[in-house]
Amino acid sequence: MSLLQVRSVTKRFGGLTAVDDVSFDVHEGAIKSLIGPNGAGKSTLFNVLTAFDRPDEGSVVFDGTDITGLKPHHIVRSGIARTFQNTQLFEEMSALENVMAGAHAVTKAGFATAALRLPWAVREEHDVAEEAGRLLRLVGIGEWATAYAADMPHGLRRLLEISRALATRPRLLLLDEPAAGLNLAETAALAEALYRIRDKGVTIVVVEHDMGLVMEVSDEIVVLDRGRKIAEGPPRLIQKDPAVIAAYLGEEDADEL
Amino acid sequence: MGRTRIDMRVVVLLVLVAAVVFAVPLLTSDRYQLKVLTFVGVNVIIVTGMALLFGYAGQVSLGHAAFYGIGAYSSAYVVTSLGWPWLAGVATALILTAFGGLLLALPSLRLRGHYLAMATLGFGEIMRVVFVEASSLTGGPDGLSGIPYPSFGGFEIDTAGGNYWLVWGTAALCLALSANLVRSRSGRAMRALHGSESGALACGIDLTAVKVRVFVLSAALAGLAGALYAHVVGFISPSTFSLHVSVVIVAMAVLGGTRSLAGPALAAVLLSLIPFADAVLPGLSRSALDTIQEYQEDVYGLTIIAVMLFMPAGLAGVIRGISKRGRRAE
Amino acid sequence: MGTTELLQFALAGLKNGSIYALVALGFTLVYAATGAINFAQGEFYMLGGMLSVWAYANLGLPLPLAGLVGVISTAIIGGVFELLAIRPRKDGDPLAIIIITVGGSMLLSSMARHQFGPTERSLPLFSGGGSINIFGAVLEVQTIWILGITGVAVVGLWYLYNRTGLGRAMRACAVDRDAARIVGIDTRKMVTVSFVLAATLGALAGMAVTPLTQTAFDVGPTVGIKGFAAAILGGLGNPIAAVVGGLVLGMLESMSIAFISSTYKDAIALIVLLGVLFVRPQGIMGRSKREKV
Repeated sequence: MSLLQVRSVTKRFGGLTAVDDVSFDVHEGAIKSLIGPNGAGKSTLFNVLTAFDRPDEGSVVFDGTDITGLKPHHIVRSGIARTFQNTQLFEEMSALENVMAGAHAVTKAGFATAALRLPWAVREEHDVAEEAGRLLRLVGIGEWATAYAADMPHGLRRLLEISRALATRPRLLLLDEPAAGLNLAETAALAEALYRIRDKGVTIVVVEHDMGLVMEVSDEIVVLDRGRKIAEGPPRLIQKDPAVIAAYLGEEDADEL
Repeated sequence: MGRTRIDMRVVVLLVLVAAVVFAVPLLTSDRYQLKVLTFVGVNVIIVTGMALLFGYAGQVSLGHAAFYGIGAYSSAYVVTSLGWPWLAGVATALILTAFGGLLLALPSLRLRGHYLAMATLGFGEIMRVVFVEASSLTGGPDGLSGIPYPSFGGFEIDTAGGNYWLVWGTAALCLALSANLVRSRSGRAMRALHGSESGALACGIDLTAVKVRVFVLSAALAGLAGALYAHVVGFISPSTFSLHVSVVIVAMAVLGGTRSLAGPALAAVLLSLIPFADAVLPGLSRSALDTIQEYQEDVYGLTIIAVMLFMPAGLAGVIRGISKRGRRAE
Repeated sequence: MGTTELLQFALAGLKNGSIYALVALGFTLVYAATGAINFAQGEFYMLGGMLSVWAYANLGLPLPLAGLVGVISTAIIGGVFELLAIRPRKDGDPLAIIIITVGGSMLLSSMARHQFGPTERSLPLFSGGGSINIFGAVLEVQTIWILGITGVAVVGLWYLYNRTGLGRAMRACAVDRDAARIVGIDTRKMVTVSFVLAATLGALAGMAVTPLTQTAFDVGPTVGIKGFAAAILGGLGNPIAAVVGGLVLGMLESMSIAFISSTYKDAIALIVLLGVLFVRPQGIMGRSKREKV
């Protein structure tokens, strides 16, 4: 079943067409990757999918509902969560609190109930903290719960952002270059975390440069080049696709294809 | 932060501070001292609101004295001119300031940070003109006098000590409720919005809604403080709610620091006492007091600049540093 | 209302508008360089008048020299203020700069009060009293001075901005600070320059108008807010817009006194400020910038 349908999305910046008539589907339960050489439009497309930018043409349909043009916080409430290339953590809050913040859209306690410490609000708070702890352990950073986000090592910050995104109880998780700056061991840990997340029933879309990770975890890959989709299919076909190889010629990633 | 266990030492400290604050009217009957310290309590209420708005949610208001004034004038007016009971006056103050805060916040908070600062500045100045010109309601530039003491039912609080306890009791309540708030989902939303707006959006937080709510709350707290001030002091005039006062409120929030209620409360105490230093230092000579009053604005201005340049986390940062060192020593 | 009266109000609007234009230019220059609003701009206006008075009355300098000294010393104060209070803030966070200038405004006006006392001070009219008759309306000679000084300042600034290397660097910073730094422009120096220019322009306005309105340590905030309203009305960041905004605001004030009443005249600028912020924040000449998340 197609959870996310991207239909003819086009985004222009002045004279530059960053994303040109891109369409693809993401099936529920899959891990799908979005790759392409630098400047291919991956980040722009990503921002459109997560409502941080508006498409000039085209639409995005999630679980049967057109979500084009919705505000970012509505997208989250619809069941789509994202991470950022430059992690946007809340540095002055602990890892646990960061993840608890992610539960904002799925909890209800408001200003008044919180100020008065109504019993149901206190219970909800307790449940949120427990769930946050579980999510930290799911991605493998459970022992960092009380550390300030600012103090966490680079490789683990991504994982923290992922567990915060999971706190929004998404059906679709969009990851923006999660492996950037990670070493081999950290990338392997990331892949393991992605499998565990997928097994919990979350569909994943990843924008990535790290070909090793992409080829290993993806069920399907979409390849962009200069704003256009030039290929789509399972990893072993993409690896052999002449158009893809041509697009990457001269790029470092070509060696890893 | 992130500890959900209650630190016993913090509790003991809070109890001690509360006991000292409570005991003041039992230790002195000097009316001047009590009135000054009551005024300090009023400022603590206002600054608690600013702490939520600025220290937690990272928004700047340069016209908060306007809400202070709206609260004071509305309560004073309904009690003196309409004969309503004092509690109704306080309720009126809260409703009007919350509503005013909402009216100002809704259009302003769509805009960037500095636009909110200037919108609040404009609002503050407009209200000051209103306070002066709408003389049938506000008594004009001479203000309103003869405002009755607070009273519950038939019981009037007409002693300096009684009013002290009323104001500080209210301040304690506001601090407690605010402390609950910042440790909650809403508190996290405020801190998230200050930490990273993109990150907050990714958590499904409606940024504008949070900003508006915090702004309205901070406006209402200023209004509450105004209502208390009007009846405890008995006299108000437009100069009590001027731009200068708004700037001093900002100075207290800045000095107090971010992500803290204790820091701003402490800053409010320190900065409020500057022009009234003789209330806590009875041996202070007349000329020393004159000098202090002469230079108080320099102190406020320099405080703002120095804190923003050299210790942006303010007193709160200092307190956090001390408590961290205390824990490491164990 | 007869045409003579209307003309009179229009001339008053032009006079005040020129003052607002100069102050607004100061706001816009600092905003273009830092992204922040300089809350102390009104104090630069005040210091221009106060220091000119001091140079004239206390140092006994002849009037033109006193005015020059007043403006130049204010410009220096502007630069020193930036170096001591703004530059150390390395992250350049606009909100932090706003707060710093708020503190600076209180500090500068207080220092002025210590130095020059709380009472009003005045300067003699630049070329004596007298006025010209224009279609029945009275145009004071001092007003001609104000318009003239404003004109020269605007032209001078235009030349600096559009025909010099320094101006080109400033424009580059205004468009994209990071890109400007990459091409080798010293953006920190540009910030200092913007403060010095803002102080100069504000001081010129203050000095020129003191013979008519007197000056005192606390005149800064009122004119500052009006100058800011003018800058926002025209469109923040654009020098031409600042001048346009200033003149328009001056006219709006005058016309509202003429046709409505003079009671709430000080509120006009404030209403304009809030109105622009809420309805069209980019001002008359600004382009709508969609808030990108």
